[in-house]
Amino acid sequence: MEEKVGWDKSVSDVNDGILIAVDKPHPTYYLALTIAFICMVIFFTSWGILVTYGMGLTGLNSPVYWGVCITNFVFWVGIGHAGTLISAILFLFRAKWRNSINRSAEAMTVFAVITAGLFPLIHVGRIWYAPYWMAPLPTTSNLWVNFRSPLVWDIFAISTYLTVSLLFWYMGLVPDIASMRDRVRGFKRLIFNVLSFGWVGTLRQWHHYEAGYGFLAALATPLVLSVHSIVSWDFAMALQPGWHTTIFPPYFVAGAILSGCAMVYVIVLPLRRMLQLEGFIRHEHLDALLRLTLLTSTIVAYAYSIEFFVAWYSGNEYEWAIFRKRAAGPYCFYFWTMVFCNCIFPLAFWSKKVRNNETWAFIICLLVNVGMWFERYNIVLSSLVEDFLPGSWGHYEPELIEITLTLGSFGWFFTWLLIFCRFFPIVSMSELKLIMPKPVRNHHHHG
Amino acid sequence: MARVKAPGIVAIFDYLDDVTKALEEIAEKAEFKDHELYTPTSFHDLIEIAEKKYGPSQVRWFTLTGGLTGAFTGFLMPLWMDYDWPIVVGGKTAGIYSLPAYFIFAFELMILFGSLCTITGMFVMGRFPNPEDTIFDERTSDDKFAIYVPGAQTGGSQSKALKDFGAVEVFAYPVK
Repeated sequence: MEEKVGWDKSVSDVNDGILIAVDKPHPTYYLALTIAFICMVIFFTSWGILVTYGMGLTGLNSPVYWGVCITNFVFWVGIGHAGTLISAILFLFRAKWRNSINRSAEAMTVFAVITAGLFPLIHVGRIWYAPYWMAPLPTTSNLWVNFRSPLVWDIFAISTYLTVSLLFWYMGLVPDIASMRDRVRGFKRLIFNVLSFGWVGTLRQWHHYEAGYGFLAALATPLVLSVHSIVSWDFAMALQPGWHTTIFPPYFVAGAILSGCAMVYVIVLPLRRMLQLEGFIRHEHLDALLRLTLLTSTIVAYAYSIEFFVAWYSGNEYEWAIFRKRAAGPYCFYFWTMVFCNCIFPLAFWSKKVRNNETWAFIICLLVNVGMWFERYNIVLSSLVEDFLPGSWGHYEPELIEITLTLGSFGWFFTWLLIFCRFFPIVSMSELKLIMPKPVRNHHHHG
Repeated sequence: MARVKAPGIVAIFDYLDDVTKALEEIAEKAEFKDHELYTPTSFHDLIEIAEKKYGPSQVRWFTLTGGLTGAFTGFLMPLWMDYDWPIVVGGKTAGIYSLPAYFIFAFELMILFGSLCTITGMFVMGRFPNPEDTIFDERTSDDKFAIYVPGAQTGGSQSKALKDFGAVEVFAYPVK
């Protein structure tokens, strides 16, 4: 496919084209940043109110003690996964189209995982106690954390994931920051030199850099699969009907990658306009991304059907009751939103016409994100409200503060993302040069 | 940056095929001893030359060491904490009997330590950050290639040879 990319730029245009755009974004960029910032203020105000007045402001009550905060946690971790898929797994598969969007995907991963990490902290209410249940630190009575708890596994998985994503992302940035350094003078030059660790681009540096990059990609690939598997064990290790299934790890990983791919499209499409990157992020690259979204959507659809089938086939009446209620009970709206947004609407991507139509593709990708949020909501809620004892059944609706926290988290995420692409290239310049036509002389002549 | 590199010449190339050919030809020659290439990115042809010049990257030993250390830490840390103060939850015995659960920590820490050591290895083997490094030409982080030959002069045989290979420009370092 790569051969068919119609490049109208050459390697020499990369640094100029991308870095000039970084300095002069389209006015809509500032509009987007303002909206994101306002949402971020809402986020922190809500969190402040929640810490001041307590968790009673949320809709959480017996038997539902995991609500929108945990939904958001799983959602944002999932968003992060496509970043690693695109940057690490597609790197190992030598899928060249990744090189134009991997930086945006990696930045998305880093900020999404940071956003995700906030939600368990919000959820525990009194965050100042969090280190004692999170980290292997002894409490005042010398008690350690419970290492057989999936929640502690999750802490290790998420913090490893954040660290490795940061390393991978920053490693890719190093040669690009060196390129930025070589274009400026004075104090800025010093700053960029420090940030790029004095990178000079010798053959020796590139040799070990390439090897290191390959190893990081090879480490990040099993990591990304393990992280969402462990997130799914937060649920699957419990005996709760609707949670206790072996399909959860692959099902969660596929869902995560679906939502992440859709999110990359939602992010890259506007950024490409705002920063005039049409010449570098080609239509063919976006098309490949949409095809990957379609592929993961079909995997998710398969997982939904198998989960449903096994619930019936297992003969476990509690399990089957939960699934019947998901589809036709009081929470059926969430279930059908999830099915339509994740399995039905993305089928439109079979058509090249839809993939070529940026507006429709953007809308479908937004819907996929809505659908994936509802998938998590559906899993967390519909299982918790009704367990084995009808006497302890309950109901849950999110309160206003949970909704503002959810919307606000998008503000927090997009503020960081937009600030990042105002100061650093959102397209990996050194990697982009590798997929463009090689700078070779047509005819060899010496002298 | 401090000018501490040995005096020599710097040849600028526009084209990847020219510079690849030049590097292949000068690789073994004594008069080009300690030459160094500066390139904007890791073009495959150049990495192949690096493989021949430096051999397989030693970063892999850093990764292996980090990974093994992480895996051992991942088993030993929960074991030690379990024996220090056993927590028996739901009748699940602490310590060695809970080893299956500790595979998770071993796996995650293997990746964490492995990644940190990979980065360290890249710094150590790539010899940077190094205050003695010099950027001979700022265009080498954009679209040009530069070959630096210590001990050579602009009028010398090395300079002529590099021009024959297609160098568009050869200048002396330090610039007078």
